[in-house]
Amino acid sequence: MKLTEQNITLWGDDIPWLAGLREKGLRAFAASGLPTAKTEAWKYSFGAVGNTENLRIDTTPHECNGHCHQQEEKPVSAYCIDFCNGKLHGEHFDLPRGVSVKPLVETIYDGDIKPYLNKSFAMEKFPFAALNTAYLEQGIMLVVERDIALDKPIVIRYHQHNSQNLFCNIRNVIVLEAKAKAEIIEYVDIDEDTCLHNVVNEIFLAADSTLKHYKLQKEGKARCVSLNSVQQRSNSNYKCFVKHNECALARHESYINMLQEGAYAEVNGVYQLVNNGVSDITTNILHLAPHTTSNQLVKGVIDGKAKGVFQGQIHIAPDAQQTEGHQLHRALLLSDEGEVDCKPELEIFADDVKCSHGATCGDLDKEQLFYMQSRGICLENARRILIEAYLQEVLNKIDNSEVAGWLADNMKNF
Amino acid sequence: MVKPILEIKNLSAKVADKEIIKNMNLTINAGEVHALMGPNGAGKSTLSYVLTGKPGYEITGGEILFNGLDLLKMKPEERACAGIFLSMQYPVAIPGVATNNFLKHAVNAKRKYDGLPELDAAEFLKLLRTVAKDLDIGAEMLKREINVGFSGGEKKRMEILQMSLLQPKLAILDEADSGLDIDALKIVADGVNKWHNNDNALLIITHHQDLLSRIQPDVVHIYADGHIIKSGDKNLAVELEKSGYKTFVDAKE
Repeated sequence: MKLTEQNITLWGDDIPWLAGLREKGLRAFAASGLPTAKTEAWKYSFGAVGNTENLRIDTTPHECNGHCHQQEEKPVSAYCIDFCNGKLHGEHFDLPRGVSVKPLVETIYDGDIKPYLNKSFAMEKFPFAALNTAYLEQGIMLVVERDIALDKPIVIRYHQHNSQNLFCNIRNVIVLEAKAKAEIIEYVDIDEDTCLHNVVNEIFLAADSTLKHYKLQKEGKARCVSLNSVQQRSNSNYKCFVKHNECALARHESYINMLQEGAYAEVNGVYQLVNNGVSDITTNILHLAPHTTSNQLVKGVIDGKAKGVFQGQIHIAPDAQQTEGHQLHRALLLSDEGEVDCKPELEIFADDVKCSHGATCGDLDKEQLFYMQSRGICLENARRILIEAYLQEVLNKIDNSEVAGWLADNMKNF
Repeated sequence: MVKPILEIKNLSAKVADKEIIKNMNLTINAGEVHALMGPNGAGKSTLSYVLTGKPGYEITGGEILFNGLDLLKMKPEERACAGIFLSMQYPVAIPGVATNNFLKHAVNAKRKYDGLPELDAAEFLKLLRTVAKDLDIGAEMLKREINVGFSGGEKKRMEILQMSLLQPKLAILDEADSGLDIDALKIVADGVNKWHNNDNALLIITHHQDLLSRIQPDVVHIYADGHIIKSGDKNLAVELEKSGYKTFVDAKE
């Protein structure tokens, strides 16, 4: 079954503006098609998308009798929102005052979503986000009201079981009103290699709001792509941390628009792939206003036949004076068959800016390894200690100690 | 009774196709202190790396027995755990690894090899504090990343600290005195003397007599062109200091 010929009926097809939007999404995808070697934003990872011939969208109601809940591990104490086989599990969430989570379909019918949906990116540039729009139905709308600071993180878990060939499209719209503060942890636990998991998060940060966004990809055989499209108003703060473990394809794409003065954005990441699979961290940060700042630090470890991709674009608009954009990608490439691809792109149209980018790729230091061995530490442990030390610089940027602890427990042993 | 700790027999070794060690013989017995002196480029450091198993050195002949074990068949970490310790001329900095953490890994690796239970954090800290105090190493230095930004003297004291913690059977000090002021030299020498007893042995590789005036050698060897050209008692070092290596090297030829 072709991706564009699913022959399904979705909630909201009776609403003209939504039906029109879905149609637009379908057309945008039909025009671009699946990424190829010629698709610049996908040139290193298009191959890992793999076979899409048998993918199917499941429109039946979610019935798992809580089964999906039981076997899931929760990384931290938090408010939990679960997606099981791409569908929202439960509709009522025990959230504090000033915070609301509604199923996307509900917000389509009551119209709450209308000011936000598909307002943060242009589909033509993002083939999978276009598909996500074409099949828009599952997802949530999360609103943190003005001045509200969440006491615990919100964890969004994606889990699948018995889900062969499932094509999941999830759209989350996250709105932080002025001065709101929240921490969101996306936790992807999918081990089914025939599936394609396609998430689009549209994130709207009002003035002086702060969002910490963690994305933790558990080890598995899944193909997972995501677009994280962020719009930032004045003095808002967006801090993103991505952790990719071994996965057939884990792509985290950030598309951050800093629309007003004083916005701050940070994207940090760590990837560790030992045998196979592709990790792709792609960022596109647009400084569209003066006095905006962005920082990126991504470090990875690649072994076996795995591949690590980092593409980092920093765009500074002509008006965006006195901005700063910094970017650093470093990778350890431990095997001959592994691959690391790094593509920094800086487009600077203002003259009073501070920008930097850097990239390194190398093996573990032989002198350091021997020094440790000469103290009795076996080679295997010496390598592990060096890799941990290498990644620690990025992990130090996580200020939620529970998340940091979970990551420390899930570090791959080399 | 004389008990050999290290026996080097007819050893030859190459680095990048260049023969550096040529048919060398040396026996060090328990309780002894040997000094290996020689001009720059004679291959002294090469010998220390061959003994500790650094990759990149090809053994072309001979054998080395360490407490009767065939040393050349052992991995570097096995040699270390079996009791060989090299205080390096240029200790390696490891950014991101805290000194105390590094030392704990090393101590526990050896304990595991010896069949002893690993020390927990509290037990290790207690041991570390006691040993560090003697070497004038404070808590601040132990929290820093190992050898990162350490001064020459700090690095050498850190090497001796590791030696004191690991309690080797054979310690090789490669230029342990280079870059040290008189006070630091005394601390290093005191640390070594405190460790040294009748069951272990010491091989000091040096250019100078400074350290040897503080750690008395039983045997002094002059090492040139890949092997020992002359051996004698501690007076040989004094003589060497006066006349230089050239006299001995030329006499040999």
